[in-house]
Amino acid sequence: MAPQPVIRSRQTEKSINGIPTQVVCTEFSNYIFIVLTQYGKIGTLVSITPDTRSGEISLPMFTTRVLLGKDEPLTHVYAKNVAMFVSQESGNRPVLLGLSLKDNSAETMKDVKDMIKACQVW
Amino acid sequence: METALNGDSVEPITVHDFSEKVLEQLVHFHVMKLSGGFFLWIGSEPVLSSLALAVSSKHDAMPLSTLVLGDPSDTTPSSLAQRLSKICFNQSIQCFTAEVQCHQSAMTSSFFSAKKTKKQVFVSYNLPLTNSNLALLVENRIKKEMELHPDKF
Repeated sequence: MAPQPVIRSRQTEKSINGIPTQVVCTEFSNYIFIVLTQYGKIGTLVSITPDTRSGEISLPMFTTRVLLGKDEPLTHVYAKNVAMFVSQESGNRPVLLGLSLKDNSAETMKDVKDMIKACQVW
Repeated sequence: METALNGDSVEPITVHDFSEKVLEQLVHFHVMKLSGGFFLWIGSEPVLSSLALAVSSKHDAMPLSTLVLGDPSDTTPSSLAQRLSKICFNQSIQCFTAEVQCHQSAMTSSFFSAKKTKKQVFVSYNLPLTNSNLALLVENRIKKEMELHPDKF
């Protein structure tokens, strides 16, 4: 009998405004890896890391870093918006996000987040 | 296969897991097949401690690679990504050549340039670095899987 895989991943596909969109979430003990794509690729790779400051009651802070690809302000904003909740729900694990969208408008962001929620591995 | 608005075809991402006992150690492999390449994770525990990317194209004899995450003094992930990307690239050329022979079209050269031949390979290697023999055996196991299931990579 083949051993069980140690890596848990879930994926979903949906058409958003007529564009086929894919989400794949993979769980690691120190990261949640999310591929969010309308090209079938990893594209721009962004890390979203919660800042650990103990005893702070204010809103949690996150650091976003573009590890691969074009470093644009919008990428940071988008990454934070779609991935922050994942980090919070997964015990403050950092998120690695592969982002390649044709449509990165704020209007479709809710649909995108719903897709990520549907692939919960954390 | 799906066709997007602008006519580009986007293949669905597929996931493939396999495991092997290498030098008394159970090693797990997790492959994510992407459009124009793949992501491969290797490890015994579900941790992501390194990530390297290699890109091969018809313009470069040797794939270019970079370390995205992890210890830069450890070259295992990037060199492994480099070699796998080369294999992946050569496999796609073989497939393509077969395709052309099949079609026997007169405009093969334009057909060739229209085909994207760049290959992106992501490798996350998460095994102890103390044993280079292990890395070699692991690499051979991956190559075997690529030969057995080329459709998964």
